[in-house]
Amino acid sequence: MSALRTAGAAALLAGLLTACQERLTAPADCPALCPGGSAQVFDTIVPALAGLDSSFTGYVGRGAGPALLASNDFAASDDRTVYQFASLSDSVRVRDTLRSYTLDSAAIALTLVARDTNVNGLRVYLYRLPPTVDSTITFEGLAPLLAAPALIDSIPVPDSVNSGSIRSVLRGADVARLGLSPGGDSVLAIGVAIAADAPTGIRVGSIAGGSAATFTSFVTVDVPDTGSIRNQSLVRSSVFNTFVTREPLVPADSVLTVGGEPSSRALIRFGLPDAFLDSALIVRATLELVPARPIVGLPTDPAILDTRALLADLGAKSPVARAEVPTEAPFVVLDTLQAVQTDTVRVEITRILQLWQSTRSRPQAIFLKLVPEAATFSRAVFGSTRTPAIGGPRLRITYQRSFPFQSP
Amino acid sequence: MRRALVLLLLAFAPAPVVAQASQFGVRGLGMPGRPISARAAGAGGAFAIFDPQSSLNPAAIGGLAALTAGFDALQDFRHVENPAGSASLRDTRFPHLDVAGPIGKRPGVVGLSFSNYTARDFTLATSDTLTIRDVPVPVSDTLQSRGDLSDLRAAGAYRLGNDWVLGGAFHVITGSTRLSSRRTFADSSYRPARQRSELSYAGIGFSLGMVRHFGQALSVAATIRSDGNVKVDRDSARVARIDLPYTFGLGLRWRPRPKLDLAGQAVLRTWSGANSDLIAQGGLGADNTLEVAVGGEYTPDLRRPGRRPLRFGLRYGTLPFPVTAGQQPHELGVSLGSGLRFAQDRAGIDLGLEHVWRSAGEFSERSFLVNVGVTVRP
Repeated sequence: MSALRTAGAAALLAGLLTACQERLTAPADCPALCPGGSAQVFDTIVPALAGLDSSFTGYVGRGAGPALLASNDFAASDDRTVYQFASLSDSVRVRDTLRSYTLDSAAIALTLVARDTNVNGLRVYLYRLPPTVDSTITFEGLAPLLAAPALIDSIPVPDSVNSGSIRSVLRGADVARLGLSPGGDSVLAIGVAIAADAPTGIRVGSIAGGSAATFTSFVTVDVPDTGSIRNQSLVRSSVFNTFVTREPLVPADSVLTVGGEPSSRALIRFGLPDAFLDSALIVRATLELVPARPIVGLPTDPAILDTRALLADLGAKSPVARAEVPTEAPFVVLDTLQAVQTDTVRVEITRILQLWQSTRSRPQAIFLKLVPEAATFSRAVFGSTRTPAIGGPRLRITYQRSFPFQSP
Repeated sequence: MRRALVLLLLAFAPAPVVAQASQFGVRGLGMPGRPISARAAGAGGAFAIFDPQSSLNPAAIGGLAALTAGFDALQDFRHVENPAGSASLRDTRFPHLDVAGPIGKRPGVVGLSFSNYTARDFTLATSDTLTIRDVPVPVSDTLQSRGDLSDLRAAGAYRLGNDWVLGGAFHVITGSTRLSSRRTFADSSYRPARQRSELSYAGIGFSLGMVRHFGQALSVAATIRSDGNVKVDRDSARVARIDLPYTFGLGLRWRPRPKLDLAGQAVLRTWSGANSDLIAQGGLGADNTLEVAVGGEYTPDLRRPGRRPLRFGLRYGTLPFPVTAGQQPHELGVSLGSGLRFAQDRAGIDLGLEHVWRSAGEFSERSFLVNVGVTVRP
């Protein structure tokens, strides 16, 4: 046993002396030294499948997006915003008794979601609209209503304010500009227009975004000897909102429309051969889209082109990869558009192609949309496979062939 | 018998058994291993053909009088230079295991050993600039190989009187190498590319050997070995069959004085048999190799020969797989060693230090090898 103990100690000593540590990386002059040589890189263009790229419209309706648009002769579009508030009764219930009140003052608050911070002198104008305003209103129908007689107030927005709440408060005789009915329920609807030192636009809060405008009435209730409950504020939220555009985007079948109101999305299909997917090691794949016309957005508040892999190809209702699912998140690509995009739009979708390589059950197709949907000045129109003059969607794939491992 | 079994199991427990890595192991089947013990390495390998704990000559185990197990570790510190630059590298390996012992009171000895046949451990790093999409893009490439061919030997030896020992062995040559290629791009738009492949090898061989003693002072040993060929599978598909060399070894041992033991040996391997097979695989081929070693062992105290003997040696050899066409690599090594036996000679530790120079054209490396061997006789 003594011999074994001694030998064990010796083995331990040997182990310590030759403690495992490796540094094996040597410089090399390839392909001279490297067996197999060097991996070659190739570049190829793969067009979308002819006739199988299309746009679908109607995903998010006008006014149903997370923000509304207002602008003044902005190059992207000329827009006006409409809010309609919940009806305001001419009485309030106090101790189970309806009692009349006197409107002392009122406030209309809007949420400024985004503006072009490069444009100063922003002023937001609020106009009284007929309470019957609804989603059928058009720009041509609304524009005449936004005139001086219907002006409620204008809100100067300090140049330092980029977002947040902006508010108009009406007191005394100014309250009459709201045009509330003296008896019965009153419905206030307003139109929003803007002015600034230069043509620009703003995005304001919406019902869908949880940041729509609110109308607050400060009233004195006719209740004798009641102290604090005499003065109340009555808050009315927006029950309807929309915006109108002078020249709304009308999708055409020949091109790929992405964005607009109601929003459009584009489905593009590709047909990479199995032989390529089996043998190529894709290191970069870029989706290239040629705009049919410049895509103009609000500077400092750009839109995002959202590109997703399809989980199954069911046309317009195809399920797509979800960013909130960790296993699918890599196949959602968000790319910010430039304020004015005239050149080819390039989106890196390498992971999506690697998905196509790893499983053939996933369709070789992608869905495009602009976010925020129906709430951005950017409206994209891209060439399709049916518009060769513009140029259809295509993939630019950089890949390596299998490394020629020498054997041996 | 029970202790022997335990020892056998311990000796062959799963462990990486590979020899030193080298840039001269990048081509062909890799860097040939030296199936010798740390004791033999201390004398430059000059005694290996007589050494019962080395796996060069199956007849050598006939010199064992008791069950003996050995385990060797090798630390390699080397400095590599080639046209792409230079680097200081190091690695730790376990190149040799063996266990052998006599069969009862008969004059026969049997043994098993596990040693490195060739090693393909390397990582090559390069950088380049490629023009991709009409833009120059810097890239970094790494080509890595891990693994080796191992030689599992079952040997037997028989003593014919006091002068002759004959031996034979059966060899199983097996192993695998895992290859990977990785490319990273300076432009993050490009995703790193990584590819892997695995090569596995299988072959068998036979060897014969003899040791002839001419009295106490002179011995001659010889060995011959045929390894047939090795089948190479890449990712489970047969891709090649490569001829392995015949090995011819001859050694001479002379004791001019009781305290001084001198030896020399030469080993020829016909690696050129693999030349056409390797060229067919896109390689640069193979050349025959010759290794010549001379060395000695000085024993200060003859009453305790295992106590700190001084070993010294010199060897020169050629390597089979050129890294550039037409330039066969060669190596020169000088070594020193010693050892210590304790616990009534039941255990021992041997240390060998060797400085090796290898070169072929613009490729060269200096290597400092530390061999540590542990021997146990239960």
